[in-house]
Amino acid sequence: MKKFFSLAFVSVIMLTSLAACGGNNTSNAPATNKPAANNTATEKPDDKGTEEASTIKGKVVFLTNRTDMVDKEYVDYKKRFEEKYPGVNLTFETTTDYDQSLKVRIASGDFPDVVFVPTIPNSELPNYFTPLDDIQFSDELYFKDLKAHEGKMYGISSGGSTVGIVYNKKAFEKAGVTAVPTTYDEFLAAAQKLKDAGIVPLASNFKDKWPLDAWVYDVPTIIGEEPAHQNLRAETDTPYTLDNAYGKSWGILRELYTKGFLEKDVNSTNWEQSKKEVANGTFGMYLLGNWVINQVIENGAPSEDIGFFPFPADNSGVAKAPLNPDYFYAINKKGNVEAAKAFVKWIIEESGYDDFAGFIPTLKSKEPKLAQLAEFNSFNVKYFEPAQPVDAATQIQNKAQLDQASVVQEFVLSKDPQKVFDKVNKAWAKAKKDLGL
Amino acid sequence: MFSRLPFKTQKNYVVFGFVALPLLLLFTFAYYPALELIRLSFTSWDGLSPNKPWIGWSNYQEVFSNPEIFGVFKHNFAYFAVGIVQNIAAIYFAVVLNSKLKGKNFFRLLLFLPYILNGVAVAYLFGYVFDTTNGSLNYLLGQLGFGALSETSWLGNGSFVNYTLASIGFWRFMGFNMVIYLAALQSIPSDIYEAASIDGANGWQKFISITLPNIYKIIELNLFLTVTGSLEVFDLPYVLTKGGPAGASETFVMKIVETAFQFNNYGLASAMSVVLLLFVIIVLSIQRFLLNGRGE
Repeated sequence: MKKFFSLAFVSVIMLTSLAACGGNNTSNAPATNKPAANNTATEKPDDKGTEEASTIKGKVVFLTNRTDMVDKEYVDYKKRFEEKYPGVNLTFETTTDYDQSLKVRIASGDFPDVVFVPTIPNSELPNYFTPLDDIQFSDELYFKDLKAHEGKMYGISSGGSTVGIVYNKKAFEKAGVTAVPTTYDEFLAAAQKLKDAGIVPLASNFKDKWPLDAWVYDVPTIIGEEPAHQNLRAETDTPYTLDNAYGKSWGILRELYTKGFLEKDVNSTNWEQSKKEVANGTFGMYLLGNWVINQVIENGAPSEDIGFFPFPADNSGVAKAPLNPDYFYAINKKGNVEAAKAFVKWIIEESGYDDFAGFIPTLKSKEPKLAQLAEFNSFNVKYFEPAQPVDAATQIQNKAQLDQASVVQEFVLSKDPQKVFDKVNKAWAKAKKDLGL
Repeated sequence: MFSRLPFKTQKNYVVFGFVALPLLLLFTFAYYPALELIRLSFTSWDGLSPNKPWIGWSNYQEVFSNPEIFGVFKHNFAYFAVGIVQNIAAIYFAVVLNSKLKGKNFFRLLLFLPYILNGVAVAYLFGYVFDTTNGSLNYLLGQLGFGALSETSWLGNGSFVNYTLASIGFWRFMGFNMVIYLAALQSIPSDIYEAASIDGANGWQKFISITLPNIYKIIELNLFLTVTGSLEVFDLPYVLTKGGPAGASETFVMKIVETAFQFNNYGLASAMSVVLLLFVIIVLSIQRFLLNGRGE
């Protein structure tokens, strides 16, 4: 027992003296390019970091949704981050069902230092999170204004993604599709060729609902060239009509469905299976974000066989695509703010998480590492950055209990799509009136 | 310290001590949340903000006036109908496995096993069974020569998707009902059967006149479990169909979950939960009213 205490005592002494060393080091020689910690290959020399490292101490807890990275990449992240900021103890907490469990914890008043912004209105962000404008990044950021309220930024995107057609080049070859379609007519022709070759042209994963989000958010952006289309719904009593962006987008899906270009039975699709099918070429295409590319490759496709091109939703021939943020980092205003800010800066600039996840980096100057994104960009894509969501539209949608992905399903399956829109518009108008908006 | 007190006081202390603990647990984890649920059902709480604005009865008005909310109850009928068949099958198997049969313990185990499996695991498992293109059921039908039938979209046809789902419930809970029936059957004294045999009663007569009246209370219990179970179905459709196709398999509890966690309307969701609670009580009362008098 005695031995244990003396050991503990010695280690405490050593820790504190080491920390003091670090402090001296930085205050005496702020100009050196050497990091406070030892020279390690993983770390870029960064004098700003060393300066901060002295004052940054304590425990930082990051609540993440990537359960797959625990005990793997996160071990490495912890090591590298704590080398740079020796006074910080970084821990990762994971949860599935991220949004809901985080909301419960926020409501209880006690939640981790760094979290992803849950789905709450922007006006409530200042109640729980701290402004992040004073973090000095080496470059401009994408999506600065999306999680902002009254001019202050509360969330920094962990990365961006775009949506387009992920396709199996071997399947295209087999079906005799030689050039990537750039107009809607060419797209239909390619789909027909795939179908004739016994390949399912487009994997919709219709049953699972969430894969239809691309049709709710992204295809209308491409068709209407207006990323704020979800917000604009708040200004009308009939947001869904056959001739507006929604009607046209969902009409495309309906056309693909009626022509048999989707899975044989759209009500019995299997997401995990579909990744394998795209990888081995029995399914030809996905209309999804670039994040799916790595997952298809993980399921057995060689990277060079998987391609990515912008979805030609019309016959204009102009390549268009949305630019969407992934989860946003936010910092608990009652947590260890300084250390948490250092962590957010580090994970954006140095961790390499954006490359690991296959994101378009949040730093504007950083090139994406994914080969398919380079291919995508070679089409000279016109990108649409999203607009800050307006609470009114979300409020009406919640009041009307409107699940747009379900509406897409109904729209596609129903005999009379106009009736589906009539029903939805009626609920929308009523909710809008009830809320007095 | 207690030894000096008179015996009666000591006894009271012990009684109080033994009663207080379970009551405390009961109130903390059952009654307090229930009361809180009722309180929330009169607010328009969004699940997050510290203030919970009181809005009176309007959540309840919404529940009863919106056909979208209340209409999903008709999807639960399939589960009830299959539940009845399930109980009949359970009684049948219980009677068979209560007789002198070789390997009856093995068969009991076999039938009871599905109940032990986790609900979500069962749902995934049947996802592979009912898959249209790669599913084992359609494969089997195809091999047996039912060409047209093997193309059936079991989970994608709005007119029978609920029955497909309910059949999974049948597979899962039949064994559980059977075990309860078995326990009841074993408590029937065998001399009654012997006396009936001497009087010349056949098997069917014995079943109608001896077995059924003796397990009447247990049938009532199992029916109650079936009714509440079919009103509260959630995991199977949630995992397998997400309420699809086009909302045809959405159940009331799914609707509650959606209202609370997707539309952030905890007030309305609480009101829906209270309505479900009342609904269960009403259905139960009707059942007791209809069945009473025969069992006594």
